[in-house]
Amino acid sequence: MRVLICAAMLVMVLAPAILPSAWGALGQSSTTVEDDRAKLHGVHQRRGGISYSIDTITVAGLEINEYVSSDGMVFAVVWKGTGVPDLKLLLGEYFEAYREEVAAARSRKPRVREPFRMKSDRLIVERVGHSRSLWGRAYLPSQLPPGIRPEDIQ
Amino acid sequence: MKRMRVVVAFLCLLAGCGGGGDDGGGFTSSAGSIPISVGTSSVCVTINELCASVTVCQPGTSNCQTISDVLVDVGSVGLRVFGSRLSVPLTQTVDAQGRAIGECTFFADGSTSWGPVQIADVVLGDAPAVRVPMQVITPTFGGQSVSSNPCNDTVDSDPDAASLNGILGIGLFRQDCGSVCAVNSNNTLYFSCQAASCAGAVVSVVDQVQNPVWLLPSGNNGVVITLPNVPESGAPSVTGSLILGIDPAASTTPPSAVLPTNANGFVTTVYKGRTFAQSIIDSGSNALFFPDASLAGCPMPLDPFYCPPNALHLSATISGTGGGQAVVPFQVANTQLLVDTQNSAYNNLGGDFSTFDWGLPFFLGRTVFVGIEGQSSSLGTGPFFAF
Repeated sequence: MRVLICAAMLVMVLAPAILPSAWGALGQSSTTVEDDRAKLHGVHQRRGGISYSIDTITVAGLEINEYVSSDGMVFAVVWKGTGVPDLKLLLGEYFEAYREEVAAARSRKPRVREPFRMKSDRLIVERVGHSRSLWGRAYLPSQLPPGIRPEDIQ
Repeated sequence: MKRMRVVVAFLCLLAGCGGGGDDGGGFTSSAGSIPISVGTSSVCVTINELCASVTVCQPGTSNCQTISDVLVDVGSVGLRVFGSRLSVPLTQTVDAQGRAIGECTFFADGSTSWGPVQIADVVLGDAPAVRVPMQVITPTFGGQSVSSNPCNDTVDSDPDAASLNGILGIGLFRQDCGSVCAVNSNNTLYFSCQAASCAGAVVSVVDQVQNPVWLLPSGNNGVVITLPNVPESGAPSVTGSLILGIDPAASTTPPSAVLPTNANGFVTTVYKGRTFAQSIIDSGSNALFFPDASLAGCPMPLDPFYCPPNALHLSATISGTGGGQAVVPFQVANTQLLVDTQNSAYNNLGGDFSTFDWGLPFFLGRTVFVGIEGQSSSLGTGPFFAF
């Protein structure tokens, strides 16, 4: 099992080169998720709901939850664990907007040390935590299915 | 104070106390203290930024350097110093194949540091030196760069931009990663590098970046942070103490509540009927961050801080895992009015976030005990907070 998990993470690390349509990326169709997950050999489970489902992958001290709407789109991702997953993979086309916001927060003078948050009509990303336990989430506020509130995305 | 430490050390000699070790240790008394301050330096210039000095030595030598402006951070574990501010040579750690070990460190503010893990003799205050793996923040380590590195992020490169020379992580844990990084090469934190190429690495627990406090011969069960309070309009500076080792009997302000954290270091906060199970207590955060839609936010560029027209008296209950709770009154004032005073330390600075982050204002006017995992004290075995 450990070998499989390591192989899975290796695929995740290499994925930008070999999987242009990133694994389970925010805003993308979930139709590729199962293919990609098969390649990842991650330990995963699905919890179903009426208007959305949650796919969970646990690997190497990380738990990644993908929220998928009933029409098959990933509208939120949540990660927690000792490290941070490759957000380029998880955020997909939204990664650059996130990266720009991180750079802006970092160039703020004087620098403020606060939990990271970017908030726009299009994308919300938050990060918090401490050594051993980091937590973050990204979601598309205009794409939340009926019945789910931001505080439900944990 | 100095005399008291000498007496304590003598008593320790008599009683044979100290030396916690892997068994969780027995009673350990203070190993001394370090002055800590907000608003007294030209590097740690951020509001509510708590800093101290740490001495780093080439292992086994008296070739030492005092690093000033090191963030005193209960929210992280291990010592990290910008390589550009370090002049003493340290010992690079390597894997079984001789490849240099480096690390990505991710912080809650979205910043990331990259650099080698090196062995140093670290001196905290007047405590004896401890030999520990620490991180030397170096964006170019392993043939990497600020924008292209194993952290998949833009990593910190400039101490002045970061407003610190280093970070002294004295949080709840012995190492910054623990067993996860000792069995998984793809832990996203540790890497081994050779010929400008880095790959995820398994790093044993003892070779990971360590909380230097738990390796002290005595006073190794945690730390105590004592800071005076400040007026409602803030203060230009505050100075307090970081005491090494938890010995409530020696404290002028023994704690009224002991809050064991969960295994991940979180406590639970209940505020206005909402429960936040992933709350953190973090001296490295500059304000109290929590969600309250009824509080007016500040306009840019002070977003996400709160700007209520009048200062508000609020209250929340923090509880531990399996017992212990405390009602914590706090204030949130108008951030614009606060920063207009040009002070550096405020006990009523608040901002918006989706969970509770008890930042530096929580520590002002308090004595906060931080118990390290597996280390015992008369307050219990860590990880815990007490205040």
